[in-house]
Amino acid sequence: MKKVLMGNEAVAYSLFINGVNVAVGYPGTPSTEVIETLKNFQDDDFYVEWSTNEKVALEIAAGASLSGARSVATMKQVGLNVAADPLLSLSVVGVEGGLIVFVADDPGPHSSQTEQDTRNFARFCNLPVFDPSSPKEAFELIKPAFEISEKYKLPVLFRMTTRVCHSNQSIEFEFKREKRKIKGFEKKPDWVILPALSYIKHMELEQKLQDMKKELSAYNKVEGRGKIGIVTGGVSYFYVKEAIKGFEDLFSILKITVAHPLDEGFILEFAKDKEMLIFIEELDPVLEEEVKLILFENGRIISTYGKRNGYVPFAGELDVDKVKYIFYKVLSDKRFLAKNTFTDVLQIPKRQAQFCAGCPHRSSFLIVKNATKDKDIIFTGDIGCYTLGFAKPITTTDTCLCMGASITMAQGLNIADSSKRVIAFIGDSTFFHSGITGLVNSYYNRHNITICILDNLTTGMTGFQPHPGTGKKIYGEEGRKVSIESIVKGIGVERILLIDPYSDFTENVDKVREFLNDEELGVIVFRRECANLKSRESYFKINKNCSKCRACLKVTGCPAIDEDENGNIFIDSTLCNGCGLCKNFCRYSAIEKVMVK
Amino acid sequence: MNDIIIAGIGGQGNILLSRVVCQLFMNRGFDVKSAENIGMSQRGGSVVSYIRVGDDVGPIVPDGKADILIGLEMSEAARNVNKVNKDSVIVLNNRFVRPKNSDLKKQQILKFFEENFSKLNVINAHDIAFELNMPKAENITMLALICKEGILPFSKEEILRALEQVLTPKMYEMNKILVEKIYERY
Repeated sequence: MKKVLMGNEAVAYSLFINGVNVAVGYPGTPSTEVIETLKNFQDDDFYVEWSTNEKVALEIAAGASLSGARSVATMKQVGLNVAADPLLSLSVVGVEGGLIVFVADDPGPHSSQTEQDTRNFARFCNLPVFDPSSPKEAFELIKPAFEISEKYKLPVLFRMTTRVCHSNQSIEFEFKREKRKIKGFEKKPDWVILPALSYIKHMELEQKLQDMKKELSAYNKVEGRGKIGIVTGGVSYFYVKEAIKGFEDLFSILKITVAHPLDEGFILEFAKDKEMLIFIEELDPVLEEEVKLILFENGRIISTYGKRNGYVPFAGELDVDKVKYIFYKVLSDKRFLAKNTFTDVLQIPKRQAQFCAGCPHRSSFLIVKNATKDKDIIFTGDIGCYTLGFAKPITTTDTCLCMGASITMAQGLNIADSSKRVIAFIGDSTFFHSGITGLVNSYYNRHNITICILDNLTTGMTGFQPHPGTGKKIYGEEGRKVSIESIVKGIGVERILLIDPYSDFTENVDKVREFLNDEELGVIVFRRECANLKSRESYFKINKNCSKCRACLKVTGCPAIDEDENGNIFIDSTLCNGCGLCKNFCRYSAIEKVMVK
Repeated sequence: MNDIIIAGIGGQGNILLSRVVCQLFMNRGFDVKSAENIGMSQRGGSVVSYIRVGDDVGPIVPDGKADILIGLEMSEAARNVNKVNKDSVIVLNNRFVRPKNSDLKKQQILKFFEENFSKLNVINAHDIAFELNMPKAENITMLALICKEGILPFSKEEILRALEQVLTPKMYEMNKILVEKIYERY
């Protein structure tokens, strides 16, 4: 069949076709759709789940692999940091059934805290890394990735970037699953990593890397015969191809599909007759550094242009126009300069991301903001939809570092300056991912902070995945529901307040204010389903009582409320979700409810 | 080669429209590639899709190269004009959602497009979708009107087939009625 598949979907199809038995991951843009697609497939020897975090996912995949199952753990680049502990050990311990660690990097970045490069993780862990340029190539590379993993008994990193993960391509394939027999776990001393064994295994690992180089090199390719060599990989390969259109004779391209380990012979052969090398890659200068090292070690002196000498930007993603500009700078050839079509382009201000209309987090933040008026408080935030608590006009988030850090940073802030009260915000999915340990620490060490758990009963930011608090498993079937309050109580925390952010606003503000009077460790759970999960029953409209005071607009920042060119306030009836928060800030009874028929 | 840009804001169905357009070209036997900025799609941010007919290209349309710019929202279309040239076809939904903290006006944007482009089409997809009782289907309304006007070379039957391939059966039934009505009435 022929289908238009997104890069992540292509990976999922290929994993299933190639007999993956266990697929686990934690959602994170741009990696999420791999598991989201795999959950549409079923077979008696196939299991898929959303795990509570990336470390858990990778360890499950590792366990399955030791039994001979083909397995995959999926995550985004910052998720790999969470899973780094098992990954580094696993590179030494090794695997049995093919194990792919799928990691989505995010040059730009579009939706991440960092622009880190997973190819560097491959160098760090001494593991092979596939780096496909397109959805089609990703589809084709899953099979060899499993085979390499099984042949060399090592996990294989499969790294893609946003523009490969989230681009779509028509792909022709036969949807037929390869059935494999799982041989089962065999007891061996190899599976228990002790220092002495680790030393021996490290030597083996270095040898394996040497052994696999030539084989992996077959996935890299050379195009063209020009004297100017371009070394590239990932999506940048296509930017290069388009940028040199019409000038193909000048260049030859070395497309690196397996970025680590690199085969010296192949690189030297390519560089042999080149006048110069230009390195076109996103994120870190991984190819540039590896290739330069090979050239140096072999006494080859050649001009190189890349990130290290300022020709290619370190930050942000590339595109055809940026690549052309690099060629213009290196070659001083004006034919690579783009012409501007428009001179007087309208300047359109950036649209700031906002809480959705009807988002319960907007109300939760405003309740806390109002309850702490006139108090000097630090608000620590975390990763998820509610990171938007920093945006105007909510402005109730002062820090955001990584998953789970709101709770632990709050403790540090409180230790450093005990005169300051600190309130931490964390979402439900993030609480399960890495908030619980921070709470345990806070209880154990008597760090008296207040923790607000914003429970919208889903993983909102990545597209509504279930988690332990929902009790639903990946297919929607019943799992076991984990109660946030029971965890909090079980740890020993006695002060817990439960708030419905949609119930009476003033009453909620009073409750929270009173709760904050006691300076012991306390947890407030704000619970209300994500606005995107419920079909709306009503919406609100502005009536003739409106004095144009703009309080509703100014306080809430709700995207459904705006003013027209005459300064009249209106509520967009297609956007409003009927939460009624704005009504609390109108002194003129100008906001009225309309029931949806 | 055909390069198409679809610009809009979260919630307008930009990505779905891009999928359907890809399917339309694929059904004609072309290879397609597309890319989209997703993630902020639920949260009122800008959403852009690039569609490229042809296989040996990257996912992002280079500056000035787009043949068609479809603006589901006018100021988002204006934001992406660096991707088109004076000969490009511009299709604007008559829908303006002011970026907060700006004093942009709808007329200002319309004027900019009128002054710079000879192949400009303004389509009332927002109002028509509302009239036809499917306010959340501005995207498919746009598509049907664009094809009906001959701006994209696809027949009603081809649209319905692509919708059937891309949508769930329930969604397909609703959108089928929408497309039929658009071809009858507008």
